[in-house]
Amino acid sequence: MPAQNGNTESANADVAQLWRAWLSETERQLNGFFGEVLGTEQFAQLSGNFVDGYAVVQHSLNQSMERYLNTFNLPTHSDIVELGERLNTIEERISSLETTLHNVATQVGVPASAQVTQLRPRRTRQPKP
Amino acid sequence: MATARQRPVETIIETAQEEAQRTRERIKKGVDILLARDEPPVGVTPKEIIYSRGTLKLYHYKPTTDEVYRVPVVFVMSLVSKPWILDLTSGQSFVQYMLAQGFDVFMIDWGIPRPEDKRLRFEDYVQDFIPRCIEHVQQATGEEEVSLLGYCMGGQLSLMYAALYPDGPLKNLVCAATPVDMNGMGLMKQWTAPGHFDVDRLVDTLGNIPPEMMLRSIEMLRPMDRWGGYIRLIDNLWDPQFVYGFRIMYKWTNEQIPFPGETYRQYIKDMMWENKLVTGKMTLGGKTVDLKNVRAPVLHAMAQHDHIAPYAAAGPLTSLVGSEDTEDVLLKGGHVSLVAGKNAVGRLWPKVADWLSHRSV
Repeated sequence: MPAQNGNTESANADVAQLWRAWLSETERQLNGFFGEVLGTEQFAQLSGNFVDGYAVVQHSLNQSMERYLNTFNLPTHSDIVELGERLNTIEERISSLETTLHNVATQVGVPASAQVTQLRPRRTRQPKP
Repeated sequence: MATARQRPVETIIETAQEEAQRTRERIKKGVDILLARDEPPVGVTPKEIIYSRGTLKLYHYKPTTDEVYRVPVVFVMSLVSKPWILDLTSGQSFVQYMLAQGFDVFMIDWGIPRPEDKRLRFEDYVQDFIPRCIEHVQQATGEEEVSLLGYCMGGQLSLMYAALYPDGPLKNLVCAATPVDMNGMGLMKQWTAPGHFDVDRLVDTLGNIPPEMMLRSIEMLRPMDRWGGYIRLIDNLWDPQFVYGFRIMYKWTNEQIPFPGETYRQYIKDMMWENKLVTGKMTLGGKTVDLKNVRAPVLHAMAQHDHIAPYAAAGPLTSLVGSEDTEDVLLKGGHVSLVAGKNAVGRLWPKVADWLSHRSV
């Protein structure tokens, strides 16, 4: 009878296996089908038009929003971006000053201290033969 | 005979009980997913930030061995996805694996571009950010040489850096799933063809390219993958390991980040349209990005079923560089499973660690 039990389990496993194999195969075939459709010139044209349309709608929304915000004397998205850009410029200048200072310190023989706070391991490891 | 008849009945009852138990688990875990409860922690390998600028952060991971290889490794992530794919979770983290193998590991996390980052170009990443990060790695380790390991677009950035600084500190270059010949990009190439894709209008209007747009275009490469994934999830909802893996990957796939506008414009025009990386006509900051200038040893790992960086696009990389020491490896799996998850543990990671170990002393 263990053989019969084994058969039942095997039958269950087979059904599950068949279903998973079918799923994978269907997925592969549908991906192939959609790949052909999405790979046509017509679809590329359609998606290009969609992106264009999206950009136009977004552009007019941005303009309307800017007008409203200006009317209420509130900062617009462009104003905030501009502030961010100025901050970026300041950060870049600081970074450049840090690099210059580090180079000067190295040239005059001041040891440049590492920013790492953790313990440094030995750098002598060899690969396994 | 009575025993013989009882057995099938017992088997049916056992199967029914097992199925009921699985159904309970399916419902419980399904609710967890729907409510985003108990999200798996990711990117938790101990690290410290040794340099930051804007959204960029340079991480130094805490070494886990007393003795490390002389040359540190810097992971360079793609611009359009979060870096924790390389540091998934304990036991499935590439970073953790490399630490355990005795490497001193750093990672450049570009962060999430803000609207004001729309003006960032390849020049900023390749000729400013990467060199600054390498300087900080040199300071932190006291070593002149570094190895770069770039994944996907991170590989392209690393490759451009290697081409522009042939006499620089680059000791080794590892690229994973890195497309170079954009004529092999299939559908992506077709959708962005100059005849019907107005990249200027898109960038001028939106600034950064929204993550949803990137996500949908990647999904459309294989539209059924998402639905097939859901069906497999329902089938395996009773299995905690499957659900855990699914949730992590789902989280990463859906956490795309915006593509900095000007870089996107360059990517489309210079790389997609004119394939300048292959033709040698790409210039950054007035300098030509000639891949023949890459002289460091190069390992390029690719996946057989990669639909984002297909073999036709990634394959030619090592034939284009000037290095004498090059190696290609084509592994089973897809774009993500090449570097993350259970498959990568036994395939890519040991290969990279072994290849680098002989070149990092």
